[in-house]
Amino acid sequence: MESTKSNPTLSQDGFWSRLRSGLARVPVIGWLAGGLCAVMVEYFLGDALSYYLGLPKIPVLFGFVTMLKKPLLIPSSTAYVILVYLIPLVAVGLLTAGPANRLAAFLHRRALWLSAIIHLVLLYTIIHIWSDISDYRLLLLKLTMIAIMLTLSINVINGYMGEFSCSHPGFMALGAYSASTMTLILFTNDKLFGPALLPPALGPYCYPLALIFGGVVAALGALVVAIPSFRTRGDYLAIISLAFMFIVKSVIENLEFVGGPRGMGSQPNWSNLPTVFVWTVLCVWVINNFVRSTMGKALNAVRDNEMAADAMTVDTRKTKIVTFMFGAFWAGVAGGLFAHVLRYVNPGTFGIQKLAEILAMVYFGGLNSVVGSVVGAVSINLLSEMLRPLELFKWIVIPLLLILVMIYRPTGLIAFREFDVRKILRPKQ
Amino acid sequence: MRRFSILAVACLVVALAFTTNAWSFGRKTVIKIGINAPITGDIPKVGEGTKYAAEMWLEDVKKAGGLEVGGKKYPVELVIEDNEAKAESAVKANTKMITEDEVLVIVGPQSSKQAVPAGDVANNYETPMISPWSTNPNTTKDRPYVFRGCFLDPFQGPVLANFITEEFGFKKAAVLYDVASDYPKGLAEFFKQAWEKLHGPGSVVAYESFTTKDTDFSSQLTKIIKSGAQVLFTPQYYNEVALIVQQAHELGWKGPIVGSDSWGSAETVQLCGKDCYGLFFSTHYAAAGATGATKAFIDRYQKKYGYVPDDVAALTWDSLGIVKTAIESLDKLTGKIKKDRKAVRDAMARVKNYKGITGQMTFTEDGDPIKCAVIVRISDKGEYEFYKSVCP
Repeated sequence: MESTKSNPTLSQDGFWSRLRSGLARVPVIGWLAGGLCAVMVEYFLGDALSYYLGLPKIPVLFGFVTMLKKPLLIPSSTAYVILVYLIPLVAVGLLTAGPANRLAAFLHRRALWLSAIIHLVLLYTIIHIWSDISDYRLLLLKLTMIAIMLTLSINVINGYMGEFSCSHPGFMALGAYSASTMTLILFTNDKLFGPALLPPALGPYCYPLALIFGGVVAALGALVVAIPSFRTRGDYLAIISLAFMFIVKSVIENLEFVGGPRGMGSQPNWSNLPTVFVWTVLCVWVINNFVRSTMGKALNAVRDNEMAADAMTVDTRKTKIVTFMFGAFWAGVAGGLFAHVLRYVNPGTFGIQKLAEILAMVYFGGLNSVVGSVVGAVSINLLSEMLRPLELFKWIVIPLLLILVMIYRPTGLIAFREFDVRKILRPKQ
Repeated sequence: MRRFSILAVACLVVALAFTTNAWSFGRKTVIKIGINAPITGDIPKVGEGTKYAAEMWLEDVKKAGGLEVGGKKYPVELVIEDNEAKAESAVKANTKMITEDEVLVIVGPQSSKQAVPAGDVANNYETPMISPWSTNPNTTKDRPYVFRGCFLDPFQGPVLANFITEEFGFKKAAVLYDVASDYPKGLAEFFKQAWEKLHGPGSVVAYESFTTKDTDFSSQLTKIIKSGAQVLFTPQYYNEVALIVQQAHELGWKGPIVGSDSWGSAETVQLCGKDCYGLFFSTHYAAAGATGATKAFIDRYQKKYGYVPDDVAALTWDSLGIVKTAIESLDKLTGKIKKDRKAVRDAMARVKNYKGITGQMTFTEDGDPIKCAVIVRISDKGEYEFYKSVCP
């Protein structure tokens, strides 16, 4: 695999194959440098360029929305995307391949955390500059990252453990409501709970605590689903967990002090991009370590054959309880972040529709895979925004894509793949 | 390798130079109006009504050659975004329209669960927004940039309580409502308050609830019948109204049943049939027996889309009318979107006695209109007949 990619003499000596082998030599840090260059080009030249191309504004999502709305602008949007994203990305990637590989090799010999942090800082810089162009991009990025957390956390239960759990919107609602209640009572003067108990200046520092509190409440809620999962599997557990979701929804609807069906608003605006980014990275890191630990292997054993796993000294009860609570914790954190992005939650949000969305993301991306969850969450979120101009037909195109994925890749786009950070960040030469 | 990439770039640049000449678009001032509507999702009929009304409005404006501001005509564009009847989608749609499409004003979203969070976005970006249909007080509260096109529940509740008292002289009322839905729950509470103020505590003899998507109401209705109530108030949506009314009659309920503006859909009578004839509800406008501009609107809509417009379409029409009046009352458009938005917001707050097809409107400081409610009687032909008008 390695040798064919890096050895150009094996393939035809054409432009494309040379380009391909050249690109294969670019390490991740090189791509990040290219991405940084691309967003810088857009940041400084994007406006002028879009003006000369006859575009009304900088295309917000890689030109897709503009193209679908005004087909006449397809050539200029494509040109914009090529000029601003593709050329800088490829050119910088290729030109810096040598030094980037040396840097990657240098970092490879050092501690993994150092290398990971450098890559993450670069990635953050890229998305920060990219989202600086428009607040719509910012909002979309935040919601996409929250979707990544949700998808990952349900993948632990539905993918790694193989139980079909439908209670995720419920966990999310628990997290969203508990975190919002905490921030509203403690740090905000609002209509529901009256004046703040603590000085609001402390709020942003204590916000992580509120999120963790939301996660813990969701994890406690998960016990309710975990215990029946000792006795039932498959369809029956799906029904029980679905019931749990409805219970949470109607409880909140009947709780007057959190606003009932009217919902709860005016959360402080603390879910900014760095906060959401850090929590998402934390979530990916923790979940990735969890599923690669002994516990993670136990999950797969429970999925493949519970009885055999039990016979091989896997404590299936403990495994199930921990997994449900772990998945629910992250769903709760994601819910807390979600509530502070929208700054309004109502029980109606956490219903069947949300469940369908989460399940679509996890099955589209791929079961039993961290990369798959990220891919699923990002692609479904971006797709549903890019296809916005199609209105009703959007709901034909997206399900059709899902069906195609299910036909050609029944377990999802990138399923059963390990996410090995060291392997990904290694030099390619 | 590098030679190739440089060549490719050069080719592209040349090609692009030609495209720029071919597509010489300028950036001129266009008045963009955003429509945030639930075109897909739970309530597509509401989204359809909104979209149709907006398209009819655009047709009129185009016929007039655009909106006239300070003697100059500006072309108008509608930006219609689907909010999928979801809160986060409504927020996304609003953010997109404000930051990307640079709309001057937003009309919508219709339901409160989308209008409350979307209103927050509009207010933060200082973009005027008018929700034609949202009745939740929080939509406009403390938000100078957010307006609405309909009356609020704290007004509608007492209107109905007073109407029943005057019309029938009843003393004991029963209420049946959906506890899980924001609008019926709020209205049921306001009605109860108003009724008990009129007739003393305990005069609401039965206060029964159910949950969204329930279809069997016999246990609640039996309790209501046993309680000796003289009138039943149920502020539900059209699909539930049909079930409640039919089941009540089957169980032997003889008294009148009164509803609120959520009954106003064309589907109510279709689903309910003869059972609903002769019942009353309060709403924004009455389609049957309408006169003047209201009749013209209804006839045109019916001719174009094949059915009588419901209140959402009428309120959207009026909201767009207010937007038009506000924009045309400006001296000039500067072309700087932030300044223009502020100017439009101020102009909207200044609108006095706007004559809409759903009645006269003047905004209070909160951005809520002071307008009359209409009591409608469902006639023996199943039409919505004007019965009386109640003003604040």
